[in-house]
Amino acid sequence: MRIAFFVMLLAGGIFYSYIAFVDLDFMTRTGRLGPGFFPRLIGATAIVMTLWALVDELRARNATDGALRQWADVAVLVALSLGYAVLLRLFGGFAATIVFLAVTLSVLNRGQYLKNGLIAVLVPVLLYLLLDRLLNANMPPALITLPL
Amino acid sequence: MDIFSDLVMGLTVAVSPINIVYLLIGAMVGMIVGVIPGFGPSAGLAILLPVTFGMDPIGAIMMLAAIYYGAMYGGTITSILLNTPGESATVASTFDGFPLAKNGRAGPALVMQAAASFVGGTVGVILITVLAPLFAQVSRSFGPPEYFLLALMGMLTLIVMIGAHWKLGVISALIGFALGTVGVDLETGQGRYTFGSAELIGGIYFIPIAIGLFGLGELFYAFYSGLHRTGTGTIVQYDKEERFWPTAQDWISTRMTMVRGSILGFVVGVIPGAGATIASLMAYSTERSLSKNRDNFGKGEMAGLVAPETANNAASSGAMIPLLTLGIPGSASTAVLLAAFLLWGLRPGPLFMEQNPELAWGLIASMYLGNMALLAISIFAIPLFVQIIKVPYRVLGPCIVVICALGTFSVHASFVETYLMFAAGIVGFFMRLYGFSPAALVLALVLGPLAEEALRQTLTISRGSFMIFVERTPSLWIIGITIALLLLLPMLGRVGNTSAGVAEKAGS
Amino acid sequence: MEFTTTFKAGVLAAAVALPLGIANDAAAQAAYPSADETLDWTIAFGPGGGNDIMARSIISILEKYDLYPGEIQPENRAGGSGAVGWGYLYGQNGNPYGISTTSGSFVTTPLQADTPWQPEDFTPVALLATDDLVLVVNSESEIQNIEEFIAHAKENPINIGGTGTVNVDFIVPTLFAQKAGFEFDYVSFNSMSEQTTALLSKALDAMVGNPGEILGLIDSGDLRPLVFSGQNVPAALEGVPTMGELGYDIGVSMPRGLILPPDAPAEAQAWWIETMKKVVETPEWDEYIASNTLTPTVIYGEDFRTFLVNTKNGFGEVLRSIGAIK
Repeated sequence: MRIAFFVMLLAGGIFYSYIAFVDLDFMTRTGRLGPGFFPRLIGATAIVMTLWALVDELRARNATDGALRQWADVAVLVALSLGYAVLLRLFGGFAATIVFLAVTLSVLNRGQYLKNGLIAVLVPVLLYLLLDRLLNANMPPALITLPL
Repeated sequence: MDIFSDLVMGLTVAVSPINIVYLLIGAMVGMIVGVIPGFGPSAGLAILLPVTFGMDPIGAIMMLAAIYYGAMYGGTITSILLNTPGESATVASTFDGFPLAKNGRAGPALVMQAAASFVGGTVGVILITVLAPLFAQVSRSFGPPEYFLLALMGMLTLIVMIGAHWKLGVISALIGFALGTVGVDLETGQGRYTFGSAELIGGIYFIPIAIGLFGLGELFYAFYSGLHRTGTGTIVQYDKEERFWPTAQDWISTRMTMVRGSILGFVVGVIPGAGATIASLMAYSTERSLSKNRDNFGKGEMAGLVAPETANNAASSGAMIPLLTLGIPGSASTAVLLAAFLLWGLRPGPLFMEQNPELAWGLIASMYLGNMALLAISIFAIPLFVQIIKVPYRVLGPCIVVICALGTFSVHASFVETYLMFAAGIVGFFMRLYGFSPAALVLALVLGPLAEEALRQTLTISRGSFMIFVERTPSLWIIGITIALLLLLPMLGRVGNTSAGVAEKAGS
Repeated sequence: MEFTTTFKAGVLAAAVALPLGIANDAAAQAAYPSADETLDWTIAFGPGGGNDIMARSIISILEKYDLYPGEIQPENRAGGSGAVGWGYLYGQNGNPYGISTTSGSFVTTPLQADTPWQPEDFTPVALLATDDLVLVVNSESEIQNIEEFIAHAKENPINIGGTGTVNVDFIVPTLFAQKAGFEFDYVSFNSMSEQTTALLSKALDAMVGNPGEILGLIDSGDLRPLVFSGQNVPAALEGVPTMGELGYDIGVSMPRGLILPPDAPAEAQAWWIETMKKVVETPEWDEYIASNTLTPTVIYGEDFRTFLVNTKNGFGEVLRSIGAIK
């Protein structure tokens, strides 16, 4: 995983530099620093630094990635959060938040149905009152209205 | 007595009932944000920024500033009672704070930390009051060459102070720089990395990145480290009746520590790129090397708790100076504070205090009041915060996800930015996991464009000559100070290195 | 990089989603405007900006004088320098109950990005005011007036600061210099306060800015105004010549106007033109113009469309000549 992350960064650096060198000018027509000056500098340095750090990593291969159990919980939370991002787009801030909290709490905080249910309803209601009513701020609008 | 009348005017602005309410809310929220492990002022500010939309600018800024310095008070409570720093600037407070609690002196430790925070914070505000107008005067002679050098100084200081993982710190900063180049190039108007998308013309907005990295990223990391399973650990019990108040000996033995911590903290805070965490570690190691009871440090020495606490509060005040008078943030949390100013159409800079005296002095005056309120809150509301510590992370976690998402959306009503926040959260988690520095990324995202623009403006003005940097007196001064800092800081850092090593262990 | 894919997906989602959010336009048959219909007022920028202030000023005038019978719902749809908000209005083809205010980005954003819309696609109601600029130097400068400035600029290398490049700040001095026959280096800044600081620190020779933002420094004697780009000099700048008076009329300014979605019914357009004629007569409107130091320039209907096309072409030409856009 660790190595993969570095490789991903490296790929990002190469892509960034590719555009900097191909699309963006180093100097402007009038001989000033062009839009590509900094990106080229940043891109090239990023590639060098990432390679250097990658070599360090490969040398010290003893670094472990932690137990599977640790990963399982993060993976669940990340997956649920991404699901929430999608729900927000579809059902709007209020409904999506109830669904997300209900599902996530039932996975993470097993067995405490009453408490979980209360949180899943009260938190969105409070946030709705705070953001939408009190502060007149934006809440994500729904594409599809859920029968809630 | 110009300053005095300005301050009185500021006070009349700050003491309106509604502003006092905002100030108290800010102080309270700051304490809570500080108490929740893994959550620092940056995340708290970024998430709560949108909440201030409906308010008038003065109240909003006062509240946000209170969150910012209030977090320094709250973060220590968990350092003492749980041996878990509430945020990175209170790491050094665990070294002696927790041993004190274990020795049965939790009460005095909590009171002394509140007093130390109050002293540090108040000395900091007094210094702001005196020095900010002077700085503003000096900074009127600053143009693009000076701004470029200051941004450079900030980044160099940050990287020098990262220490062991400096390569990863540099990579983090480079990611921030790279993100900062997205958008229309200021000078030529040419799009960079916009791929023809209108959403990207204005560049990558800073707030979703900050909320993602500091809010979601830290949350995911807390889940990875199992914080939600272990619960909160054992909270050290403390005696509420007898032995709650510090002894006379505690006060007398630490009085000089407070003075030293305040001044050192403030000075470090003013330096762009240094900030409260470094200030508290430096104050701790300085105090240990000066103390007669050197051997007792780490075993429950009151001065070892007081030093970092005064320093981190003084530093958070010090960092307001470059923010207000130059518009240059020295840390991730002041960068968020700057974003708050900008959102209100206020641009901190040399002319800021002169053109917005009510706001600037109102803010400064409110910081006096805020520190007093925080002193009272952090002594008398300790039981409340102990309750907050007890809320399990597995319940808190999902709520934090919700607040991050809805908070991001409410800024610009943009789904794209909300998704960007989620992406930044995942990247932030891996960065944290593998020893990168999200703070360096965020600071670079703000300072990078500033540096690039300033350098290009400078070279346009000088028609391509770098001599302009030595021809102008202010820029010559900044070069001198930067060189001195870069030579001096690593030396001071070495003194702090041993404690920084401990800090890493405490943090993980 | 991960961000770009997220971005694309988001833009795509937004594009797919837009047509679904449109109010039905069947009601257009009844007398316009119906009190039962909510007016959906798009503000293409965030709260607090120039566009937002203008929209909310007009709305408060409409409400104060009961000029609009129904409910008005202002909504900030910021993003992509106006592309999101005006894109939303563009999607409401033919709807008489969608409306928006324009500002400089209304012309410049389509020049920079592949927006599906162009300024002339919308149904024009009125141009209400323009943003004009004043050229200033540091008061410690030896240059006392515009003649000296031009003479100095012809002999010496000179720089002028302004905010942004794809912007009236760049175009106005460029056209002025062409007509007056001097050359200069344009230094682009992110904000008014940054460029003011640069001028005060004597790094810059001169700069352009909206008079409203630098009036304080002109009054305090820190800055010296030399020339104004609009047709009429605001009262606060009494005695400063306009570019037209010097014989260097450039005819470019930023449009602050009102638009309806493309192909809005003619009756809706006519109704709004009549209504805006009343709005610009109110003392509140005068106050808005004065406090934002705008130049009142009123053009109605199709003339506004022509104005937009001319401005767009003028901008495009200048920007293409320096390679800012393709």
